[in-house]
Amino acid sequence: MLQFVTRRSLLALLILLLAVTLLFGMIHMMPGDPASVILGPKASPELRAELNRKMGLDQPLPAQLVRFYTDLARGDLGVDVFANRPVTDIVLEQLPYTLVLVLAAIGGATLLGIPLGCFSAIRRNSLLDRITAVLSVAFIAVPSFVVALYLLLWLAVKWRWFPAMGAGASGDLADQAWHLALPAIALGLGWVGYIARLVRASMLEVMEENHIRTARAFGLPERTIIVHYALRIAILPTVTILGMGIGTMLSGALFTEIVFSRPGIGKLLHEAVITRNYPVVMGSVVVTTAFFVLCTLISDIVNAALDPRVRESRGAS
Amino acid sequence: MAGGWPGLAWAARGDQLHIRNYVDLTTLDLPFGVSGAEGIVGQAIFQNLLQFKPDARWDTELDAAEYFEAIDDTHYAFRLKPGQLFSNGFGEMTADDVKFSFERVIDPALHALNAPDMGPLSHVDVHDRHSGTIVLHSPYAAFVPVGVAGGSGAIMSRRAVESAGGRFGIQPPCSSGPYLFREWQSKRKTILERNPQWTGPAAAFEKIHVYAMTDHKAAEMAFEAGQLDCAQISVESAAPFENNLPPESYLEIHPSGRNYWLGMNQSNPALRDIRVRQAIQYAVDVEAVVEAGWFGLAEPAMGPIPRGMVGCRERTLIPPSGDLEKARALLRETGVELPLRLRLDVNSDTLELTAVQVIQWSLKKAGIEVEIRAQDNSIFLSLGQEATGEQWRDLQLYFQSFIGLADPYYSLVWFTSQQLGQWNWERFSNQEFDRLSDLALATTDEGERGRMYRRMQDLMEESGCYRFVTNGVMPQIIRHSIVPAFRPDGYAILRGFRPSGPQA
Repeated sequence: MLQFVTRRSLLALLILLLAVTLLFGMIHMMPGDPASVILGPKASPELRAELNRKMGLDQPLPAQLVRFYTDLARGDLGVDVFANRPVTDIVLEQLPYTLVLVLAAIGGATLLGIPLGCFSAIRRNSLLDRITAVLSVAFIAVPSFVVALYLLLWLAVKWRWFPAMGAGASGDLADQAWHLALPAIALGLGWVGYIARLVRASMLEVMEENHIRTARAFGLPERTIIVHYALRIAILPTVTILGMGIGTMLSGALFTEIVFSRPGIGKLLHEAVITRNYPVVMGSVVVTTAFFVLCTLISDIVNAALDPRVRESRGAS
Repeated sequence: MAGGWPGLAWAARGDQLHIRNYVDLTTLDLPFGVSGAEGIVGQAIFQNLLQFKPDARWDTELDAAEYFEAIDDTHYAFRLKPGQLFSNGFGEMTADDVKFSFERVIDPALHALNAPDMGPLSHVDVHDRHSGTIVLHSPYAAFVPVGVAGGSGAIMSRRAVESAGGRFGIQPPCSSGPYLFREWQSKRKTILERNPQWTGPAAAFEKIHVYAMTDHKAAEMAFEAGQLDCAQISVESAAPFENNLPPESYLEIHPSGRNYWLGMNQSNPALRDIRVRQAIQYAVDVEAVVEAGWFGLAEPAMGPIPRGMVGCRERTLIPPSGDLEKARALLRETGVELPLRLRLDVNSDTLELTAVQVIQWSLKKAGIEVEIRAQDNSIFLSLGQEATGEQWRDLQLYFQSFIGLADPYYSLVWFTSQQLGQWNWERFSNQEFDRLSDLALATTDEGERGRMYRRMQDLMEESGCYRFVTNGVMPQIIRHSIVPAFRPDGYAILRGFRPSGPQA
């Protein structure tokens, strides 16, 4: 297992380096001038040159990349020259909001999706299964920003049950949870349907396998068979998908953060891209990419822990 | 929890104001500020020698100064009100603090983004603890509205700023206005609180929460949900709101001070003939553009200088509704093959896209077919800049806008020959215009300045390079429970906001 984790971690690091290098190139090749966007007419040629120098944009792209990685190795993501603040501080201020949002969304989706999928598989073709099927497809089909808008219109604007903006008062966990509810539902609803469908399909497949029939023949209780023998295997594709899902949600969080005026890395990245604030863009990209790679790594490790065949097959290859 | 469940809603907030700011703060060190959003907060927590009155005319009144007067074109005498304190124990505001604050803006070592606000400032002479004289190298008519009353003219405590290392970010080392800076939550809000040491009329609210909300729709919903007392809303939402206002609220439409125009690059071969450009000017029905884009809430522009400001013209040379027959006649005269095909670049903004579609329709009637190219803001802003490549040569028509300041010079200075290849994308170059631009900035006589600026706008229009569209509007939706205060360009003056009714 240790060998598997080491090998997989090195691969993750390589993926991270490649992704960040690629993104660095793409971002810096985007046309547009940060000084003009942020300063408007005040961007005189002298000021523009000064800002470009501070951002390192006066250097050739490979030199910028080397400088970026050298700084990154020291844990330095650079400085936002407009705010005169370290990018690390700016990114770390926003990251917790997005992480909490994504984890609440995926957590809620998992807690609802897995039991729904299980029940649908066990009660195949029942009314519950059909209702779940319809709802699941509906949840998957509706984009999260549409869900967000309707939740906002009904639950915040019309009935005023939930707040329409913000992330809650600092230090007040109840208030923060209350502010989190609608954004997390908006972001996670589609995943409820997705996970439910996935678990249902996997469960149906697993329930037909020999070891389940053997377990039944031994007279094990149905509950034990489902939880300990069927679900444990059926959940493997879900674990893999959850790793990817968290990454997808990071980008989906942008819309939710904008609609609910919620702070977060998505909103930060969006604003930084619009203004071509390269140090902030790169800082946000590095952190989100690292988080994505980390989630995939964790899901692989969990998969391997749950199913020895995974680590053995990868070890053999 | 702030707010509540059904029935409790958000109303019981005490004497707190919840207001939208259109973007988050970058810094509260105002000489380095990058947006008006910082000025909105800064004006509540700092003092200037003079401040803008909430009216429609850019009038100023005394703020930290009890006396302020121009001795001549290059000398301004001031005397501070005694006993005005900086917070955090930084003591009384003195003339030396004014000297420090003004000279700091132009300090070449600091590279302050807003150093040009101070124009030809030379230095400040301190006479005693409270009085001094500001000295300019040369006359600069915009000095009072832009330098003294603007954000860069905020008076900071020398001791406080120096103890912060000479520059600060969001957290100011001290405040001196009716409100104190309490907290900034990145991408969320800034909280101000009443300054107990303030010697002027008491601040009306115990706390002001200034929310950074870039998205209009999110702000509108937050207002409807009862979480905001005042919010700038989008132009396209203003009309529906007018007909269906949320409870206990009303709408105010302010001119925005933004200048929108259709620009024509006269160096492009397709537009080199002035008669083609004039045909475009006459073909564009500005009234229809404003009606469609701004839902009839705005008025056609008289030029880059907005109404209420020195130099605003009473009428344009070309009528706002245009003259289609004249446009067709001009095109016939040039002998160009019709339909004439041109490109029109525009920022991919809903309002501006609507406007250019009407322009496209207007031009089509004259025989000009326009291909609209919506651009990302960052790309759009580099189209006419020589420093970013050769694409300026291909530029033909473009729909451009930018926001002005409190003085007319700022609306016109971008069209001088000096700005060719920078912000003068029309490649308009006129010696009389350049001469008047310098002269008007050095003239303090308002009547004379007004005459010069009107002539400059006539010259722009005569060049055929511009079709002025509108100065736009800034709709604000406001709760009945408060009485707002705005500058002529629709920016909030936070220190002027107060509760309505018996508490007011």
